[in-house]
Amino acid sequence: MTDTNSMRWRLTGYVLFCVIILVFPYILNNDYLLNKYARYLIFGVLSAALSFSWGYTGILNLGQAVSFGLGSYAMAMALKLRTIPIQTGAGGLPDFMVWNNVKALPWFWEPFHSYTFAVFAGLGIPMLLAFVLGWFMFRGRITGVFVAIITLAMLVVINLVIVDQQKYTGGFNGITDLSTFKAFGVGFDAYSLSTYYLVAGTLCVVLLGGLAITRTKLGLILQAIRDDENRVRYFGYDVASYQNFAFTLSAGVAGFAGMLYTLVMEFASPTFLSVQLSLSIVIWCAVGGRGSLLGAALGAILVTGVQGNLSESPTFLDTWMLIMGAIFIIVVLFLPNGLISLAEKGVRLLKHKSARETATHPVAGAAIATFDSKRVRES
Amino acid sequence: MNSTRRNFLKASAALGAACSVGFPDIWIKNASLAHAAGGEVKVGILYSLTGTTAIIEKSLNQACLMAIEEINAAGGINGMQIKPVVEDPASDPATFAEKARKLVLGDKCVSLFGSYTSASRKAVLPVVEKYHNLYWYPTLYEGRECSQNVIYTGAVPNQQQQDFVPWLVKNFGKKFYLIGSNYIYPKEENNVCKILLKRLGGEVVGEEYVPLGHSEFSSVIQKIKDTQPNVIFSTVVGDSVVALHRQYKAAGLDPAKMPMASLTTSEEEIAAMGGEFAEGHFTSAPYFMSYDSPENQKFVAAFKKKYGPDKVTNFVSEPAYFQVYLFKQAVEKLGGKDITPPEIRKASWDQEFKAPQGVVKIDPKNSHTYLWPKIGEAQRNGQFKIIEQSKESIEPKPYWAYPGQVCTPEGLKQA
Amino acid sequence: MSDILNQVFTGLSLASILLLVSLGLAIIYGTMGVINLAHGEFVMLGAYTVWFLQKNFGLDLLPCLVVSFFAVAAAGWLIERLIVRHLYKRPLDTILATWGVSVILQQGIRLTAGAELRYVKMPGWLSNAVPVLGVEVSAYRIFIFVLTLLLLAATYLLFARTRYGFSLRAVTQNQEVSRCFGINAARVYSLTFAYGAGLAGVAGALIAPLKSVSPDMGTGAVIDAFMVVVMGGVASLMGTVASAAIIGQVSGLLAFVYNDTVAKALVFFGVVILIRFMPEGIFSVRVRRG
Repeated sequence: MTDTNSMRWRLTGYVLFCVIILVFPYILNNDYLLNKYARYLIFGVLSAALSFSWGYTGILNLGQAVSFGLGSYAMAMALKLRTIPIQTGAGGLPDFMVWNNVKALPWFWEPFHSYTFAVFAGLGIPMLLAFVLGWFMFRGRITGVFVAIITLAMLVVINLVIVDQQKYTGGFNGITDLSTFKAFGVGFDAYSLSTYYLVAGTLCVVLLGGLAITRTKLGLILQAIRDDENRVRYFGYDVASYQNFAFTLSAGVAGFAGMLYTLVMEFASPTFLSVQLSLSIVIWCAVGGRGSLLGAALGAILVTGVQGNLSESPTFLDTWMLIMGAIFIIVVLFLPNGLISLAEKGVRLLKHKSARETATHPVAGAAIATFDSKRVRES
Repeated sequence: MNSTRRNFLKASAALGAACSVGFPDIWIKNASLAHAAGGEVKVGILYSLTGTTAIIEKSLNQACLMAIEEINAAGGINGMQIKPVVEDPASDPATFAEKARKLVLGDKCVSLFGSYTSASRKAVLPVVEKYHNLYWYPTLYEGRECSQNVIYTGAVPNQQQQDFVPWLVKNFGKKFYLIGSNYIYPKEENNVCKILLKRLGGEVVGEEYVPLGHSEFSSVIQKIKDTQPNVIFSTVVGDSVVALHRQYKAAGLDPAKMPMASLTTSEEEIAAMGGEFAEGHFTSAPYFMSYDSPENQKFVAAFKKKYGPDKVTNFVSEPAYFQVYLFKQAVEKLGGKDITPPEIRKASWDQEFKAPQGVVKIDPKNSHTYLWPKIGEAQRNGQFKIIEQSKESIEPKPYWAYPGQVCTPEGLKQA
Repeated sequence: MSDILNQVFTGLSLASILLLVSLGLAIIYGTMGVINLAHGEFVMLGAYTVWFLQKNFGLDLLPCLVVSFFAVAAAGWLIERLIVRHLYKRPLDTILATWGVSVILQQGIRLTAGAELRYVKMPGWLSNAVPVLGVEVSAYRIFIFVLTLLLLAATYLLFARTRYGFSLRAVTQNQEVSRCFGINAARVYSLTFAYGAGLAGVAGALIAPLKSVSPDMGTGAVIDAFMVVVMGGVASLMGTVASAAIIGQVSGLLAFVYNDTVAKALVFFGVVILIRFMPEGIFSVRVRRG
């Protein structure tokens, strides 16, 4: 059956990508580049997470950066409390609190003395927030554009609050001057091999794990919701719960990516929750291919990589933004399924199959096929 | 089918090209890691050319490059040319960190010149501290930092306020309304202002912070009308300055009775709001474009010649300009020795330079700079009339408001 | 008493500026379902048109308003023809494409007109305050208020009384059927997009003398405008007007009682809650779909 066949190709692609990013340090072991590519891979994780909620379930979350930023702050808070105390106040009070005349560590900072708590918070807080927001939206059958606008508004509100509450959050500067994360006797310095592998490992787990989920019945239901929400509802499925699952899981992954980002950037900043970044995630996902986790991850890596290097070349110093804007428009207009659809087309050509199967998604097709058979069984 | 395949090939070729443009490090091994060739001193220039703060940082980039060009034209440093590597950090702290890493680790620059906001400086700090590089920061800032890897050439609160606030109290009265943008610099300046006011027996009748980029001041102005202060003490930055001044006048307030006293309003913002809206308000800064000195005339003329007759210089672009000369003198002093960032830092201490604002000197105690604070009254023509000027250069005192904390060459100490 | 009056005037002024900026957005979104993230940049282009005209020809603000309308409408028309037109079947993708447009427009302006803040002259006769009911009110803010009402009236007449408006309403209700009646839907869409862009241009030209002119002046405005549009719903102009009035008054009041950050956060939060329970906006009868 074509389905298993295309699945084999797909899996090959995913595994190949994972192998490449894992052997990468052996080709090029250099502090600076490890750090640089670790950063791009984190964007890959973030973009894959969005693909799971947007491409697979049809929830366009324009506030993905909320989860990312909250994860980043959770990690930064834990690291801040371990900073060598010369820049901090009495009793290890973070420097910016001293500057804002805070006398004692606020209660919600206390548990961050524990790394374990911080890691759970970095995952749990974004997930909890997403769950509550998702419950609120999906129970009310909010879809499409309105989901986009609500999530965007939430992003703006949370960003405003973080910038405003300078005494507790470091305000516009964010949380800076951090110590190095250590776990199980391994230090995760921003430029180290260990950090790179932590990031690359995360991306592999997210991609392969995500792929696995999309193959389960649960994954198929999610895709069916994307294609026709009401139809799934008529089958008696609790659509809102499934949507909320995808939304919350995606937020958790984004939160984890945020924690890694703090390790790699060595600070947390409210710009990690900016509208700019949030829209960029959507763009990466769209350029790579929203309907494919690998495509979305590649999109992020490719776009940020091209952007970084384009802006570094003296020729494009002034015009790199123009070029990036033009690329977005061209991809959206002419490659609605992203660059990965080229690869899929290529695979099909390689297999000497006729090009009659057009843009429709194989997996989506499979989902609908499954449903049709289900309907037959149930009726 | 054929055409599909051809399209596919075309597209893949394009994708391949994009990849190789995107990741030159992979195909040209160590392309960006080449060391500086002999006869050149490589420095990184890190001012945003895109994004929000490009509004001001573009002019800093220009002033900095102009100084480098002048130095190179005059024979460079001990015969070596300064080679600037210009990057665009796009007004985004994360991009600042990325580009700083590239300049420090990739290009092996011996110093970086850059940035405007505190947030971007904080993002660059971990990079320059870990790799012992040197960051030259030209902007006035909150004075609460004591990094061993930064040379601060902008004003700190004591330099802007210690003469200004008493002068305001004497001339206008004791009731102050504090308004600032919502980040560390305005909050810290206001902390200092409150301490000074307390000493002088003044009072704060209101304190308000608006989000960065805010442009709607009707509510703030109404509160000001309600509280009737003698002075509006403003640390609002960027485009908000323009909106605030315009809406102030449009609301019928009068600078003669209730002037705005600002630490952040420069010729740049006045050019954008129009002299009629700035007229009668005051700014305290070490540099004004109208300052009458041969060095300044030369600086302004050169800047206008190079970048256009309608360009203005301001109290941030002037330090961005003169700090390159201080860097040059420090490297010169090193002579034949290894030109490394820590050596440059030590050599820069006590360096004096005849800057457009007067003779500036780097304080060896804390790597901040002795400056010449002035009080200017904005004129209809967009320039400041200098009303008061300190008799001598004023010592930088980071952590001024915090007795017990002292900035030393070895970092911050608790006294 | 004067405090309350002051507060009402502040709220009205905020509301009129909000309405001015969101009117074009509401029309574009309401008729074609396009989320135009480049709307803020249309506002910015309007402001730069005034700057350009004043700098080179020394024009007064009023003639500049007219030129701004047509210049930005032309830009909008072009963008609709080249890009937006191909995406009517994929409304969410318009978010991405128009974001690309906004990036290009911003950087394009930065490269051609310069990165620094630009000066736009406020007409001298409007730059002071005038007493209204015993309260000092900015003459320019009154001017904006009046012009917003005029634009609103013009838009209403255009939609209600002209042949174009008739076609537009027909196309909005049912594109297929209106095509059968010989209405050129593509042309109607282009014109509507251009009209919405033109309104944004006028908005930019009008707020330029009160605020400041910079390449990224539109980014903040567009999100506020979105809140107005979704709260007002797409069904009628009245919804947008009411929504702008409510948001303006409420945020003016909150900013006075607390501060501008709190005001903004609370207003956005309120809109989120409202969309959840009235996704069609405050001025529409709730219809159940599907």
